[in-house]
Amino acid sequence: MVGMPGEALRVPRATWRQSLTDAVRAAFSYHYERNAFYRAQCDGVSPADICGHADLHKIPLVPVGMFKQAGAHVLLTAGLADIETEIRSTGTGGVPSVARRDALTTTRASVGILGGYRDLFGISKGAGLFLCPSTAEVPEMGMVKVFNLMTAMLDDHRYLVRGYSFDPQEALQYLRSWEGTMTRYIIGPPFIIARFMRYLELESIPLSLDPDSMIIMLGGWKQYTGRSISRDEFNDKAQRLLGVDPSRIRDMYGMIESNMLAIECEHHRKHVPPWCYVSIRDITDPAIELAPGKTGGIAILDALNTAYPGFLLSDDVGEVDESDCPCGRTGQTVRFRRRRQGAELGCCAVSIEKYLDSNEVVAECELADAAGRV
Amino acid sequence: MPRFSAAVIDHFTNPRNCGRLADPDVAAFVGNPVCGDQIRLTARVSEDAVSDIGFEAFGCSASLAVASILTERLAGMPVSDIAGIHQAQVDEWAGGLAPDQQHVAVLGADVAHRLAENHRDGVIDEAGSVAGG
Repeated sequence: MVGMPGEALRVPRATWRQSLTDAVRAAFSYHYERNAFYRAQCDGVSPADICGHADLHKIPLVPVGMFKQAGAHVLLTAGLADIETEIRSTGTGGVPSVARRDALTTTRASVGILGGYRDLFGISKGAGLFLCPSTAEVPEMGMVKVFNLMTAMLDDHRYLVRGYSFDPQEALQYLRSWEGTMTRYIIGPPFIIARFMRYLELESIPLSLDPDSMIIMLGGWKQYTGRSISRDEFNDKAQRLLGVDPSRIRDMYGMIESNMLAIECEHHRKHVPPWCYVSIRDITDPAIELAPGKTGGIAILDALNTAYPGFLLSDDVGEVDESDCPCGRTGQTVRFRRRRQGAELGCCAVSIEKYLDSNEVVAECELADAAGRV
Repeated sequence: MPRFSAAVIDHFTNPRNCGRLADPDVAAFVGNPVCGDQIRLTARVSEDAVSDIGFEAFGCSASLAVASILTERLAGMPVSDIAGIHQAQVDEWAGGLAPDQQHVAVLGADVAHRLAENHRDGVIDEAGSVAGG
């Protein structure tokens, strides 16, 4: 399941249901037995109550807001001594959400995500232009950590956001330097790729990537200002300015608190990995699970996590689709719609964008000051 | 070398003096605008020494632990001495921080300095104004 998610996503639906149920139920037992805080939240629900797929929604959920709280240590099933990585995301509110993973969870998540990349992108060589900061610059930022795993499949790569500034000319230089020698991939949050395309458009710079080139994104389509980037407009521009077919423009959806990274196939459906079950909940009563196709709060039941119970009620709103995808994969696909009302706009991409913009404002003020002094 | 020192594990798991004091004489807030780590100290001061202190912290485990450690170390300490706390001192109190946790020692020293400065200037940091770093 973890090593070859592509195979696990192509089994008959009944087999997928059974293996997922077994994995999630085992994970629930694991945390129920070892985590007194979580057990106290279970309010009478025990592993004995989870008999089949239809019972998964009974597993008690942890609201993601708890990962921001100072007393987050109570969430841990593993001791701090066993924690290997701390991944964080900071939204517009400024308080970071921190997810702590032990060695087993880190290994499982790394292998699983890489397996997902291999299955859905099929990349094994080429050059990646990462329009985001490097892990060296922001070692604990969830989005960058997830992108960074992709470098293992590439022959060359560059991170183009440094010191919270981005130079589109430099990005163009790298893409040109790889032309004719390697298939080029552009990877980053939608808003920086959109900035790069705006630069190409404004400067009337012709650029055509390669037949197998892809644009791979994570980080959401809403900017910190509240404005949304239109996916259709983005796809049109990418095809026109970069020569990338829309089927090779792929978005992903995930959150740092979960090991679920849902990756788009060529039909633009985001496939939930086989170790996760996405359950859509009634916004006003999260105990009620909604049927596939209905819009509600996104809950994720993640079987990989041994550091803390990975049964999360997110601040996101969307829906799942359990119909077979034309790409041949079964399981679930998830669609993010918006943040829950009242939830802060929060993710790594928003944080990067905010600082990119503030740096540009500072730079512009310095230029204006300098001009004024002359 | 273990990723977390015994002191960090102890204070993260059993935080001391957690919470914001009511009617403090002085309050100091420092946040790292990039990584988001935040520490707020609230204290009462008697005869120029800290008589009561509480912390609120958000961020990585080392940040939460260092905030707790600071409250134990600063309790009873003259404000003039708090002004002289340096990064290496915080690192030592925390039992030795890993290279990627050193920013927390800086954060700890910064919030201690700010507490001393705010006491001198009669300032109470109220909202989450980002400072220092």
